[in-house]
Amino acid sequence: MDGGVKGLISLQDMIKEALGNNIIKIEDNKGYMDVVVPLEKLKESAIKVKQLGFDHVKSVTAVDYIQKKQFMVTYHISSYLNEELSRHVLGLSTFIDRDNPHIPSLATIWTSAEFQEREVYEFFGIIFDGHPDLRLLLLTPVVAALKPLRKDFVVKEDSINIEVDYAAYNATKWW
Amino acid sequence: MGSDNKEKKEERLNLLYGDLDTVAKMAKESLIKGKIAKMVDWATSFSLWPVHLMTSCCGCEIGAAWGPRFDNERFGSLPWVSPRQTNLIIVEGTITKKMACTLRIVWEQMPYPKFAIAMGSCALDGGIFYNSYNIVRPWQVIPIDIYIPGCPPRPEAVARSIIELQKMLKNKSLASKWILESKREDKKYIIPKEDLCGWRGERVDLTTRYD
Repeated sequence: MDGGVKGLISLQDMIKEALGNNIIKIEDNKGYMDVVVPLEKLKESAIKVKQLGFDHVKSVTAVDYIQKKQFMVTYHISSYLNEELSRHVLGLSTFIDRDNPHIPSLATIWTSAEFQEREVYEFFGIIFDGHPDLRLLLLTPVVAALKPLRKDFVVKEDSINIEVDYAAYNATKWW
Repeated sequence: MGSDNKEKKEERLNLLYGDLDTVAKMAKESLIKGKIAKMVDWATSFSLWPVHLMTSCCGCEIGAAWGPRFDNERFGSLPWVSPRQTNLIIVEGTITKKMACTLRIVWEQMPYPKFAIAMGSCALDGGIFYNSYNIVRPWQVIPIDIYIPGCPPRPEAVARSIIELQKMLKNKSLASKWILESKREDKKYIIPKEDLCGWRGERVDLTTRYD
């Protein structure tokens, strides 16, 4: 247990040293470390984090802050090869504009981010610039145009009060 | 009396000379009236082979149902890998809009007479995903013969559905009728294939085309 705590502290210092001024906010919680970097320095920070030994992306996800008109895109990064780093998950986040959601793709740095960026693209409508193959993954075009995981998407309910008239729900043609 | 004999003689002669129309007609009559139709139904009911298409969590129950404890193989049913050699499709659970195309293609590959069982509440009418934006009811994709309720159904329920399908086959003579009439009437809710499978994952520009 002591060794784990020691490792955690040294990891935070390591990341602070590597990223330097890029960090807006850093906090850690039981092996999970969240780092927020500005959008312009995301790719640069990712390359530096990869040089530390973080070799794969576990998940890519986005959070919709509808009142701030922002998306937070989070990459959860960990390591297979480095035994010390494989105990930790690093969350590399950045805030982007909600009305014009563009973010540089990290699929060229970590190949494992490619599939998951496609998923974020279809569910949130976030466009990853420089992605090698930005196609839909799970949804069909009619449904993906609704951007179903955004907060302003209302799921159809069997209720009198909520009236939703999405053509995609009742359409028999979905491409 | 004499004219009847003459007609029969002519028919026999036609048969001897190889008149295809007459032979086909006689074969069809023997199928309808004779015992071959019953035999077809009997044989089909004891060789219901489901194709291996596990789309959802009910697939675990299918595994248990054909496993050693519940042993559905004693009903003459054997899960098989290729749709070309099977005649039963069990739709396990949810069908997403992209999977619907696959389901239809698998169903179309199977030889006639073929049957379908919808398993689980998702396959009945959506289940917990009843208001989801990305699912389709299985009866919109293929004609379903038997529904199994439950979330998920027990392996006994799966065994029961096989027995019920066998009863339906024998009582309503589904298999022989299908061979004779070569059509099914319960296809009216089914979505056409070009609507299901028109889009094969090509790149689309969402911002311009669908907003």
